[in-house]
Amino acid sequence: MTHEETESIAALDALGLAGAGDAVVMAMHVASCIPCRRARDEYRRATTLLALDLEPVPPPRELRERLVESVRRAATRRRTSWWLSAAAVFALALFGWREFNTRSELTRLQQENAKLVSEMAALGAADTRTIALAGQEIAPRASAKVFLEPNRRRAVVFFHDLPENPGDKSYQLWIIRADQPEPMSAGVFDVTRSGAASISIENLPIATEIKALAVTLEPKGGVKQPTNTEFYVAGNAPM
Amino acid sequence: MNTAGASAATYLPAVARGSVSAFEAFYDRYASTVYALLLRILANADDAQEVLQETFVKAWTNAKMFDSVRGSEIAWLISIARSRGIDRLRSRKIRNTREDEAGREVSIRSSFVDHTTGADRAIQSEEQRAVRSALAELPDAQRRALELAYFEGLSQTEIAERLAEPLGTIKTRMQLGMKKLRDRLQAFQ
Repeated sequence: MTHEETESIAALDALGLAGAGDAVVMAMHVASCIPCRRARDEYRRATTLLALDLEPVPPPRELRERLVESVRRAATRRRTSWWLSAAAVFALALFGWREFNTRSELTRLQQENAKLVSEMAALGAADTRTIALAGQEIAPRASAKVFLEPNRRRAVVFFHDLPENPGDKSYQLWIIRADQPEPMSAGVFDVTRSGAASISIENLPIATEIKALAVTLEPKGGVKQPTNTEFYVAGNAPM
Repeated sequence: MNTAGASAATYLPAVARGSVSAFEAFYDRYASTVYALLLRILANADDAQEVLQETFVKAWTNAKMFDSVRGSEIAWLISIARSRGIDRLRSRKIRNTREDEAGREVSIRSSFVDHTTGADRAIQSEEQRAVRSALAELPDAQRRALELAYFEGLSQTEIAERLAEPLGTIKTRMQLGMKKLRDRLQAFQ
């Protein structure tokens, strides 16, 4: 991708108009290209001029009072939770490793069971949103469906008709965030001859921060940043 | 002038450390600007107030993620508000009611209480003048296309339909408009 092409995409991206594939390619390019990153940031800042041109309108006073009160409570909780965390760590140390190891296997099984149950619940939850990822040029028949639970910040992704990955490679799912320049890895997975796979993602950025998702083929076990721009499936997250 | 350009952070480092008074100052400085944006996007005071609250809560929780190298505090805040505003606009499908709601805003606005200080107001009006002069050089047709994307979240195809212009014309217009806007930003910093 040339600098001119990246700038052109950056201009559209600042308005939320870049396609998923373009947004991912741009994110990868700007991760290692300082002039294009600067151009991307300048386009984003330039659009804010449109907002700053509006006549300011003071919001109602009650809203400020409500907001400040909730922030004050959060600040208190933040301080309290630090002490609680410290106390919990101390208690765990007292509890002792022997007891901990005896119960760890049971806990692991219970956690796995709970995870399966909650994944099933995620598929049917009322607030679950779905995002479709379409097969790209390299794998046009492939597809994926993301079941996103914004309130619990997690997702389950099912992939279909992806080519089987070579033994020395893994597929890697990337999230393009609105608030971060580099793509964020959301997980590594393998695909067998059936072409199907699924992964669960925890601690997702909230829905409005996710701009797009895409899958690349990477060295076994995954990498910190994508090493290529050949997407197998990709899609924009509806804002 | 630090309106939309990169600048040193004024409030957010203290907000990130949990300072409620810094958050209050941050709110007083920028809430009017963000609220105007949300009213423009949503054309509904209730929705705008809800999203304004969400925006500032997010600023409070994510203040440590603010990077002054990438832009100013207000640019960061505006990008959060705009993203959430468009999200709300789309999810509630309120586009069709924009015309009906517009009249309501006038009476609601008159009951607002302004917390902005005299100094803040002076800075705001100085910034406003600079922004106005920067945007004055943008041809109306380019500006209209950019505004439809920015404030209403329309795609280029939807903009072409709305303005009854060929898609190619709209694409060219938007690229030229964005280049000009970026040039103005550089001159303006």
